Amino acid sequence: MFWEPEIETLRRGDLEQLQLERLKKTIQQARQSEYYKQKLNGSGVDLSLVTHIRELPFTTKEDLRGHFPWGFLSIEKEEVVRLHSSSGTTGNPTVVYHSRHDLASWANLMARSLYCAGIRKSDVFQNISGYGLFTGGLGFQYGIERLGCLSIPAGAGNSTRQIKLMRDFGTTAIHAIPSYLGRLYDVFLEEGLDPRKDTRLHTFVIGAEPHTEEQRRRIEEMFGVKAYNSFGLSEMNGPGVAFECTEQDGLHVWEDAYIVEIIDPKTLEPLPDGEVGELVMTTLDREAMPLIRYRTRDLTRIIPGPCNCGRTHRRLDRISGRSDDMFIVKGCNIFPMQVEGVLLKLPEIGDDYRIILQTIDDQDEMIVEVEVKREWFRGDLNFLDRLQKQIVHLIRDEVLIRPIVKLVEPGSIPKSEGKAVRVFDNRNSYNTKSQ
Amino acid sequence: MTWQISIFLENKIGHFERVTRILREASVNIRSMTINNTVSGWGILNLVVDQPERGCEALVDGGVSATLREIIVLRMEERPGGLDDILQKLAAAAVNFDNAYGINHGKYAFLIVDAGNIPDARAKLKAVGVEPLTPEESYLKN
Repeated sequence: MFWEPEIETLRRGDLEQLQLERLKKTIQQARQSEYYKQKLNGSGVDLSLVTHIRELPFTTKEDLRGHFPWGFLSIEKEEVVRLHSSSGTTGNPTVVYHSRHDLASWANLMARSLYCAGIRKSDVFQNISGYGLFTGGLGFQYGIERLGCLSIPAGAGNSTRQIKLMRDFGTTAIHAIPSYLGRLYDVFLEEGLDPRKDTRLHTFVIGAEPHTEEQRRRIEEMFGVKAYNSFGLSEMNGPGVAFECTEQDGLHVWEDAYIVEIIDPKTLEPLPDGEVGELVMTTLDREAMPLIRYRTRDLTRIIPGPCNCGRTHRRLDRISGRSDDMFIVKGCNIFPMQVEGVLLKLPEIGDDYRIILQTIDDQDEMIVEVEVKREWFRGDLNFLDRLQKQIVHLIRDEVLIRPIVKLVEPGSIPKSEGKAVRVFDNRNSYNTKSQ
Repeated sequence: MTWQISIFLENKIGHFERVTRILREASVNIRSMTINNTVSGWGILNLVVDQPERGCEALVDGGVSATLREIIVLRMEERPGGLDDILQKLAAAAVNFDNAYGINHGKYAFLIVDAGNIPDARAKLKAVGVEPLTPEESYLKN
């Protein structure tokens, strides 16, 4: 039933005691970093209860970027064995460092998560996720190996090859972003195959982008599998932060490794279980880069009450939106500012632009509409064609996904007034309007 | 110099009509047209009209992305082989062009050529003895 029964079913009181001890250690460790040494200086917080964490200051993404590259490092550089980094060339990326201990602990959380979703040593696990700086590749890889499955580090894309791997090696479980699975299913059909009959698939792990319960049920129906929701963010390692158990009723967040708080993003006051607010997280088992009260900007709630599975770690609901203007397409986190940064560099393009997120042929796409300035228009088709391709290329380099770029007539995009609404989310999967 | 009006046009209901309405109100007569469309939802509309400067000005005033673009207009015989005759000469002169379209005019037909480098194309045509039409002839002003 459990990967680590003694931790996963620890009584709440004991779990909070464990959190408190680890929090004290974490603060001590964090003080080794340049940033927290200053930030926590003199804040003599009386930590006799976990809730006293509220006395500590928040940490934000801007803090991470502002103290790039080493400001948050809490161990000697030579003890760091890996880093993961956000995409982007505008401004400083968000970098997270890991020691050997951190990686082992992450792999264990990941293994615990997979076990929680019913995956066992006997499974063949195909990770359809980009490897490299993106945490969904290596994060899952180490967890799958720690659990003892046969791992297939397939990487993203190339559906025909993915299907061949599944059939050649009898893949039973996969991890992928939900918007890819519709595409994969189409390729099964194109090849005259039925994934329900022609594969041994039984479990999917889906995450890294928002999706609805209906979308999950559709995926389960198409492939004849159980699909489990995975939640993580690179600042908190990546995947393996919170995971659904076989009850499929919320994601257990591993409270021996993280303290979770839900706050009102406006007043910053804590909210009770059950109410939707911004998720704030503190690491409890990280050496290289402990983070205290990190504002994730993800909006969710803690589902009140215990879970039927017997785990005592509380459950997060699906992410319902963001408290900033970030959006996620094809598993990539994108800020409108990144797109704007690219467009501002091009003199041929006007100041106004629009980002439309839309589901096309079961795939989520980012459409960027830009105006060609009148004075640059020479009636030359080749020029416009080249310009359009150049914009696609530059945005792709910046956000890592390929946008659809549409050139539109000047004046056809409404002028911005104050803080303009730039992003229109028309995707099937996303029920919360971003911005 | 001989001009066509080139217009950036989105592939949306009402956009082409906006252009023709403005030209009607400016009393500009269209002699020939072609649309290059792309898969990205936009294209370029090229027009040969009787008064290109007046037409272009009216369009720009009306908020349309329009510009004057130089062209070469060549006369050809209105009979089988008429276009082939002229293209053989263009090929012999090594004139490359980006776009071409035609006008029918009774006994003759006109070939409109949009080349990237017009002065170069004119010089090459001159070398093989092909004389382009004057602007007045091209616009078919009556």
